[in-house]
Amino acid sequence: MKTLVIVSHPDILESSSQQFFLSSIKNRKDITIHHLESEYPDGNIDVKREQTLLREHDRIIFQFPFYWYSSPPLLKHWQDVVLEEGFAYGEGGNALKGKEFRLIIMIGVPEKEYQAGGSELFSINELTKPFQAMAHKTGMIYLKAMPIFQFGYMTPEEKMDHLITYWQMLTMENDDSLRNREEWLIEQLEYFIDQGLNKETSDILRFAIEIIQENRFELDNLQIVLDDIRRHS
Amino acid sequence: MEKQEWILKELQKIYDTSDDYYLVTIAKATQDIIREQQKRIEQMEGEIDGTLWSPKRWGE
Repeated sequence: MKTLVIVSHPDILESSSQQFFLSSIKNRKDITIHHLESEYPDGNIDVKREQTLLREHDRIIFQFPFYWYSSPPLLKHWQDVVLEEGFAYGEGGNALKGKEFRLIIMIGVPEKEYQAGGSELFSINELTKPFQAMAHKTGMIYLKAMPIFQFGYMTPEEKMDHLITYWQMLTMENDDSLRNREEWLIEQLEYFIDQGLNKETSDILRFAIEIIQENRFELDNLQIVLDDIRRHS
Repeated sequence: MEKQEWILKELQKIYDTSDDYYLVTIAKATQDIIREQQKRIEQMEGEIDGTLWSPKRWGE
C-alpha cells in the first residue's frame, strides 16, 4: 500500500508536532510526504501533477493544524482546484473511487472541550463533516481520523504511543484488531532488523517476533476451545 | 511465562539505553502488545474456567 501524506501548514519549520511526526517517516519508501506550502509558495497549484500523485497512491492523508475548525487556506484551495469534475466526481470522475482517506489534525485545545458542554461545543466528528462529505462524493473510504490534542503537553511515553498510532494510521490495513496490530508490528520489527541494527538488538527483536507469534498461536487455540465449549453448553 | 518476562526485560533494556528514538518507540510498542496478548490469554483462560464451572453444567 502506498500512502500520500498531503500536509498543509504555513509555518511548518516552527511546528514541533509536525516535525516530530513527519521526520519519523521521511525515509519510508511506502510513504510520500507532500507539503503544499513548500511545493507551491505562490499558491499556484499544478493540478495535473497533484492528480497524478493521487492516482499513484492508495491511501490519502490530509495532515494539518486545526484553524478555525478547518484546514489552512492552501489545502482548501487545493481541494477547489484539484478535485475537479471529471476527475474526482461527475461524469467519468472516478479517479479516487475506492481509495482510503484519513484526517490527521493537530489541535491546541484539550479533547474534552470538543463536546456539548465543552468550550468548543461540537465534536471533531461534527466539525469535520465537510471532509467526510468530500470523501463520500469522491468515492473514497473515510477512515477514522487521528486528532492529536495538545502535543506540547504530552509526556514522553504519550508521544511514543502517538507516534506508533501515527505509523499505524499511515501504513496499517484498516483493521485495528489485536491480530492485525500484531501482524503490523511484526512487519515493523522486521523493517528495523533490516536497517542493520547490531546483532544483540536484532536477536532481541527476532525473539520478540517469535514470542508474539507463539502468543497468537495460543490465543487461536484458546478461541477454538472457547467456541467448542459454547457450542456444547 | 519465563520467556515472556525475559523478553519484556530485554526490550526494557533497549528502551532504557538506546539512543535511537524510533527503536526505543518500537521496543515500547512491542512490550505493550506482548502485555496485551498476555492479558487476553488470561481473560480467555478465565472465561474457559468460568464456563466449565458454570452451575448450568453441574447437572451434566
